[in-house]
Amino acid sequence: MTEKIIDTATPPKRHRYMGEAVLRAEDQELLQGRGGFLADLAQPDAAEICIVRSTEPHAIVRAIRKELAMELPGVIAVLTAGDLEFADEKLPCVDMIPGTLDVRHRVIARERVRYVGQAVAVVVAVNRYVAEDAAALVEIDYESLPAVTDAMAAMKDGAALLYPEFGTNIVYQVTQFDGDADFAARDGDLVIRKQFTFHRQTAVPLETRGVTAKLIDNGKRLHVESCTQLPQVLRSALAEALGLSVESIRVTAPRLGGGFGCKEMVYPEEILVPAVARTLRRAVRWLEDRREHFASATQAREERVDAEAVVGPDGTFVGLRLSGWANIGAAFGYVGNTPITAMGAMVRGPYRVPNLDSRMHSVVTNKAPLNVLRGAGAPQAAVVMERLLDEAARILKIDRAEIRRRNLIQPRELPLDRGRTGFANSYHIIYDEGDYPRCLEAGLKLAEYENFESDRHAAAAHGKLLGLGIAMYVEITAVGPYETARIVLRPDGTVLLFSSIMPVGQGSETTQRQLVAEELGVSMEQVAIRQGDTDEVPEAVGTFASRGAAIGGAVGRMATRELVKNILNCFSALLKCDSSSLKWEDGGVAISGPAEEHVPLSEIPSRLASLKGNLEPTAVEARFRLEVPKPSYSYATHIAVVEIDPETGAIKIPRYTVAHDCGKIINPLLVEGQIVGGVVQGIGAVLREQVVYGSDGHLQTRAMMDYVLPGASDTPGDFRLWHMETPTSLNPFGMRGVGEGGTIGAHAAMANAVADALRDYDVAVDGSGPFTPTWVMEALEKPL
Amino acid sequence: MSARGSMSAGKSLDDSYESQTALSVSVNGKKIGTLVADRLLLSDFLRDRLGLTALKVACGEGACGACTIVIDGEPARACTLLAAQADGAEIVTLEGLNAPDGLNHVQKIFQQQHALQCGYCTPGWLMTVYSMIQRSIPPDSPEVAQYLSGHICRCTGYKNIWTAVRRALGAEAEELKSAEQ
Repeated sequence: MTEKIIDTATPPKRHRYMGEAVLRAEDQELLQGRGGFLADLAQPDAAEICIVRSTEPHAIVRAIRKELAMELPGVIAVLTAGDLEFADEKLPCVDMIPGTLDVRHRVIARERVRYVGQAVAVVVAVNRYVAEDAAALVEIDYESLPAVTDAMAAMKDGAALLYPEFGTNIVYQVTQFDGDADFAARDGDLVIRKQFTFHRQTAVPLETRGVTAKLIDNGKRLHVESCTQLPQVLRSALAEALGLSVESIRVTAPRLGGGFGCKEMVYPEEILVPAVARTLRRAVRWLEDRREHFASATQAREERVDAEAVVGPDGTFVGLRLSGWANIGAAFGYVGNTPITAMGAMVRGPYRVPNLDSRMHSVVTNKAPLNVLRGAGAPQAAVVMERLLDEAARILKIDRAEIRRRNLIQPRELPLDRGRTGFANSYHIIYDEGDYPRCLEAGLKLAEYENFESDRHAAAAHGKLLGLGIAMYVEITAVGPYETARIVLRPDGTVLLFSSIMPVGQGSETTQRQLVAEELGVSMEQVAIRQGDTDEVPEAVGTFASRGAAIGGAVGRMATRELVKNILNCFSALLKCDSSSLKWEDGGVAISGPAEEHVPLSEIPSRLASLKGNLEPTAVEARFRLEVPKPSYSYATHIAVVEIDPETGAIKIPRYTVAHDCGKIINPLLVEGQIVGGVVQGIGAVLREQVVYGSDGHLQTRAMMDYVLPGASDTPGDFRLWHMETPTSLNPFGMRGVGEGGTIGAHAAMANAVADALRDYDVAVDGSGPFTPTWVMEALEKPL
Repeated sequence: MSARGSMSAGKSLDDSYESQTALSVSVNGKKIGTLVADRLLLSDFLRDRLGLTALKVACGEGACGACTIVIDGEPARACTLLAAQADGAEIVTLEGLNAPDGLNHVQKIFQQQHALQCGYCTPGWLMTVYSMIQRSIPPDSPEVAQYLSGHICRCTGYKNIWTAVRRALGAEAEELKSAEQ
């Protein structure tokens, strides 16, 4: 990277921050180990909770005996469903379109458990050690039921039913059509049929989950602190579940040690722990351990998609016909149907493909609930499209870059309506500004695509199999429907932004302060930020769908604009002067006319006070609500080069290239960080990670040792990145989202690269693998 | 389901319920003599009893490196040791390396290279880098990869961590070492 790095300790003279590689302000605390994560916050009065979880994949709960556990010294309470009262036991799910069967997740199991790890009882004790001892003494009589773990098996006649009242395990169906859904192959057209399988993964943020709850304001209000990307959503869910007014609940969320969608959820424990605090009328805390996390935090990605592509003799795609089934586990996650819905919505990416017939389903099984993970369903969608393109190129003997050129949407065709989606608010996908062909060519050039065949031969001479994979995607980012922010010029002359965007590691504290400082023309040192408190920002949407910087940043900057207006109005009223003689300039109020002067930001509160004849400096406040009717669409080209060692089956990534466009960039240092981090998550997903359940429904990946995450040696040797900045007209500052794209592109580029490296072998690379060394060694036994 | 004591991170054990052991240990140069429950994990002792929360417990089984501290000069995982096992040891945690005002030199390098995002794993990496500097590991040594293989970072993709570590071990390492002393 060649950007000029800005250290906030020595800011630029003119206070321009947009597009600058500003070093992160939050690093000061994080690097000293003072991040203030939930588990770091001292809770001297809180009793510790251990949750008793189902050891059965599918069973009727006949009896729970808690006497032995209660007798243990240090145990405060053992509570089951019968001891707790809820106004509504079902947790929210946003994507339940008409016809969806109500399999919302429940706060605590009553009668039936549906997956290993489901909450059955709660132990409260003086510390976690005693709580765990007691949890082991809670006796539960289960009557085992047959379990089903495979979505295709769950749809067969006679399969075990998770919700017998519905008579089926298929709980959600969504169809999406565009163009002529009855399209058929003409003479000379090629028809490709492929079956794609995507394996189950999980986010594994380094910080597990946790919830604390206590009564405040003399017992009149409830304060819940949780590791959540959605504090405002959790507050509403708590009000519903506990039958309380939203005003009587304060939800706070500290900095998160990673989220990736796993904390874009309303979890059973987030209701259960506060319910225990209310029942016992005392402060309680639950900190999840990693084993609980593997069993009960949401999982992701598992899908099967059958695809049929009709391709003209010149390689142009005529249409796609898709049927798909998500294995969503035992109940709906908060956005559990979103990934499979995204398949139909986004599968065509930047390619024209005029006709689409997509029929997707969600199927319940005895696994932990599925939810989004970085990219939601877009990684799977990109794999389907990009593998079909490579397959068409191979059969028709067209160069892989050339077949993409022939299918790309041209800039003059944008904006382009891609049809109505099946999402709950059924919005149309309308691609905004962009230049997809330029993005492809930039990626090819940066990756030295033209030299690849000679690289391949050189590697072969050393016994290595080299493969290259190209993938492009278009991603829904910066979604609405709105966002809010409040900003205050404090009496001390500094500005404080109250933001609803959660700090999850993306650098939101820095980027939002950059935007406020840019708008005001002041130093970032004069701008503070507070995040994650529903008392301060009661109404907001949350941190997901690559919306934090683009939407949260925009609303913060718009609120700043309102603040400037309010300040100027104050001066205008107090000086009894026309507003035309006042303007905001050079970080302060410029007053023209006979009393010409410049009042810098830091002196405004005291100047306003003296104009009013007050002694106390005056604060000025502003709020803004940004309506976001349409999301904007980021896009990228990813080109992965993989090297397979046929002796060991190991896959290395000597070179990885990304050319991308997320609109106007706030901070290129952080954008690069998001892309590289996202790409390595995608690489881990297809080479290593896999959540494994036995066919009996028992979880086999129960700890970090069982779930192989990418490590330092898995990072690509040579990472090449190129930023395109096409501003979007949908955002007041031209910004789109960038948090998830790296992961989306990497799935597809890696799958294509692995397939290319193994092109002389009889192996299907149709899905996400994982392409482990064992998988590779088996493939190498089947030469064509 | 509950892994007994595997990642308690709760408040310290209430000693009245537990069999106890005498512990004498030096933490960041400070001598401490106390009684601890036999089964109290070192990570819980440091975090909950001493309030040294820079080290993080993320996996509870020594697989991720977030709880790395330095015991008698060796990097070690606090989550898989009992407090009682540290009897007589000299322990350094990140709190012991923090500069009185602002960031120390390695921390500054990490910030400049954007080698952290959520920051949860970061204290562990810093302790390992500290050990590597103490042992004068050269930046191009194959040992570097071995040291780094003990840590998981879920955010950065490691690229910037590699750059930061190599910088810290490179020309600036000698400077760092003398600054520590």
